[in-house]
Amino acid sequence: MENNKIISNYKISWCPGCLNNIILHSFAKVLSELEKEGKIDLKKVVVVAGIGCHGKISDYLNLSSFNALHGRAIPTALGIKVANKDLKVISFVGDGDIYAEGLDHLIHAARYNVDIKVFVHNNQNFALTVGQSTPTSEKGYKSKVRPEGEKQEPINPVFLMLASKASFVARSFVLEKEHLENVMREAILHKGFSFVDILQPCIVFHNTTNFLKERIYKIEIPKSFEEAMKLSLEWNYNLEEKSKIPIGIFWKETKETFEEKEEINEIFYKRKKDVNFANLIKGIIL
Amino acid sequence: MRINILIGGQAGQGIEASSEILAKSFIKLGFYSFVYRDYGSFITGGHNFNVISISEKPIHSHELAFDLAIALDENSFKIHRNEFKPDCILISDLSVSYKKYVKVNTQEIIEKINAKPLVRNSIFLGALFKALDLPLETLLESIKERLKDEKNLEAAKLGYEYSRKLKKIEIPERRNKKVFIDGTTAVGLGAIYSGLDIYFAYPMTPATPLLHFLSSKREEYKMKTLQLENEIAVANAALGASYAGAISMVGTSGGGFDLMCEAMSLQGMTEIPLVVYLAQRASPSTGMPTYTMQGDLKLALNCGHGDFPRVVIAPGDAKEAFYKTIEAFYLAYKYNVLSIILSDKHLAESFYTFDSIEEPKIKVENIILKDQKKFKTYSLTKDGISPRSVPGEAIVKVNSYEHDEYGFTTEDAKTAKAMQEKRMRKFETLKKEVEGKFEMAKVYGNGKNLIISFGSTKGAILDALSTLKDFRFLHIIYISPFPKEIVKEEIEKSKRKVIIENNVGGQLGSVIRENTGFELDEILKYDGRPFTSEEIILNVKRWLSGKQ
Repeated sequence: MENNKIISNYKISWCPGCLNNIILHSFAKVLSELEKEGKIDLKKVVVVAGIGCHGKISDYLNLSSFNALHGRAIPTALGIKVANKDLKVISFVGDGDIYAEGLDHLIHAARYNVDIKVFVHNNQNFALTVGQSTPTSEKGYKSKVRPEGEKQEPINPVFLMLASKASFVARSFVLEKEHLENVMREAILHKGFSFVDILQPCIVFHNTTNFLKERIYKIEIPKSFEEAMKLSLEWNYNLEEKSKIPIGIFWKETKETFEEKEEINEIFYKRKKDVNFANLIKGIIL
Repeated sequence: MRINILIGGQAGQGIEASSEILAKSFIKLGFYSFVYRDYGSFITGGHNFNVISISEKPIHSHELAFDLAIALDENSFKIHRNEFKPDCILISDLSVSYKKYVKVNTQEIIEKINAKPLVRNSIFLGALFKALDLPLETLLESIKERLKDEKNLEAAKLGYEYSRKLKKIEIPERRNKKVFIDGTTAVGLGAIYSGLDIYFAYPMTPATPLLHFLSSKREEYKMKTLQLENEIAVANAALGASYAGAISMVGTSGGGFDLMCEAMSLQGMTEIPLVVYLAQRASPSTGMPTYTMQGDLKLALNCGHGDFPRVVIAPGDAKEAFYKTIEAFYLAYKYNVLSIILSDKHLAESFYTFDSIEEPKIKVENIILKDQKKFKTYSLTKDGISPRSVPGEAIVKVNSYEHDEYGFTTEDAKTAKAMQEKRMRKFETLKKEVEGKFEMAKVYGNGKNLIISFGSTKGAILDALSTLKDFRFLHIIYISPFPKEIVKEEIEKSKRKVIIENNVGGQLGSVIRENTGFELDEILKYDGRPFTSEEIILNVKRWLSGKQ
């Protein structure tokens, strides 16, 4: 596989059988296809990761990467994109990472329509800190903090991103690999802010594999925003018997990006600078 | 000769513009001006005042003993009446009783020339110029430069006519060009000179004026200013931008900087160059937003968990702020470190006059390796400095986790130790260059006793020094790296020594103790107001006599 060029030799330390591996390999596959098609230059790809199990992905990739702070991958990615608009900036974040610690950044990045891609490894728990609940853990989820079960309702990130007017909103499921790859591909090629909530059962702390498998169904892109909103409300992230879980692209539109709005027209490290001292101090001489 | 002029009134009454016009007019006549701004957290109403101190000799601070006062409202007269010198001239249109009063019927003038009420200030400025027997043309020139409404010129002329000559001041014979600048503009110009690409900020007094200043210069210098959702986003985005090759800076005040602290630690680990403008205000917490304090010195020195090197520079006046900002950029981008420019409300918003400003001797070099194969972001070099590249030119991996030379995460004991040592080693290299190249501290005067201070207290202490002839003044500019040898030597060769700072905890005192072992007496002020030279003279004399 061409993926070998993209996947590094770094020893994988995810649990054996961890579904994060699917996200890694799907991503590598999509990138190598896009490269072959001449749609992407691997030298210009930067991966930004948060902190959590997902964050290890930056070590597993032979790409420029910034393993940022917990919850802060999105503003870091924004900074990279504005400094060099030619880069393809792709951030991998976790559900604890970005729906708890860094939720504000997610909403604002959607509002700005900054041209970065956000892939959420949503395993509905804090796995790296051994299984506490995150904002997308279902009500009743049992952890060492709440052995009797989580008492709070989960948030619905797809609904939230639509409400924040993100220009690309999708949901995928790791065990629908081909579908995931198509969504990833679309998200990467989309000009503007792309958001993909990837449902990824945690085989150690929160194995929702069967639950999700039985309820997932694929959607076509809804015709109207209202329809998209309605569809996003079909599943509330609780694990209820009658749940139906739509996956696919919920919304996609072309809007002016953050960089375009801020008139960022150059790559800053290539910028020629010749500040004339006499001109600089003109205003302060009397 | 020194003249202190008060302009007092409510927010929104045009105090700032009038002060600037007055200060510039005096400079044009050959004087030096210093402008102090005192205002509260309101957009309209309340009580604000500015002090314009002028002298034929260099002047570095204001005094609260007035020779002239323009009262725009009754409150200003009532509040400051006890700060008037015995022969202070009052210029106003209020119905108050005062002996040396130039009472101008502003209502009549405004109606006569059919102008907007705000020209009232220009009427007073005209009246003030006549009271001091100064040439009206100079004032008119300054008004023309600053105010769009031409009615102000007419108003000033009529104010001049209505007034009377009350005091004669000698106009200096030589009228050389001078530099008139506030601390905020100085930092801004220093940043632009350093090749600033992107300034990231979230509004917070008293750092906001820098965001406004740089925003106003965006077109001219092809740089960007970006206001993001909070200080956390600001600091992380700036690190992202700097990683991708942009010369980046963030600006904030205490509370905002608290939010950035985690990102400062990230800077230490990732070794991405970053410059921070930290403008202190009265603290802790929300404190007094528009008032001054030197309460964040220890925060600047200690923010962010773990051991990592940083530069902390506290300039003492606007000119120093310009040069030291350039040094902050130079060091950040040469050594891949965090540079903090520690300012405060007093320095940021006061206006200073200098004879000249020379082109800086150093230039920031943002060296980026091109077209690299198998690039090591964290190469273990002898001097500790790892050359930089950017994505697009190489695969550049940066990491908040401990990492190997390529930037891959590691928990290996040997590698971790080598990286910890490398980060500290580059600071030793930096220290050597700073010690040999830059002014880390400066001594003023020749007395046998010593005053030690840092940052914006410089002005008032310099002005007090002409009275305190037995004293030298050691002004510490670099807090990190700390000029240990200079401070030690100055303390050792002095008879009596005292530290002066604008906070309640004596933070500089403890930094000095940590670095030199000396425990010294302190004169502290912590009511949100800057020291004046009178206060310094009084307190130093009290301290000398043991009656502090």
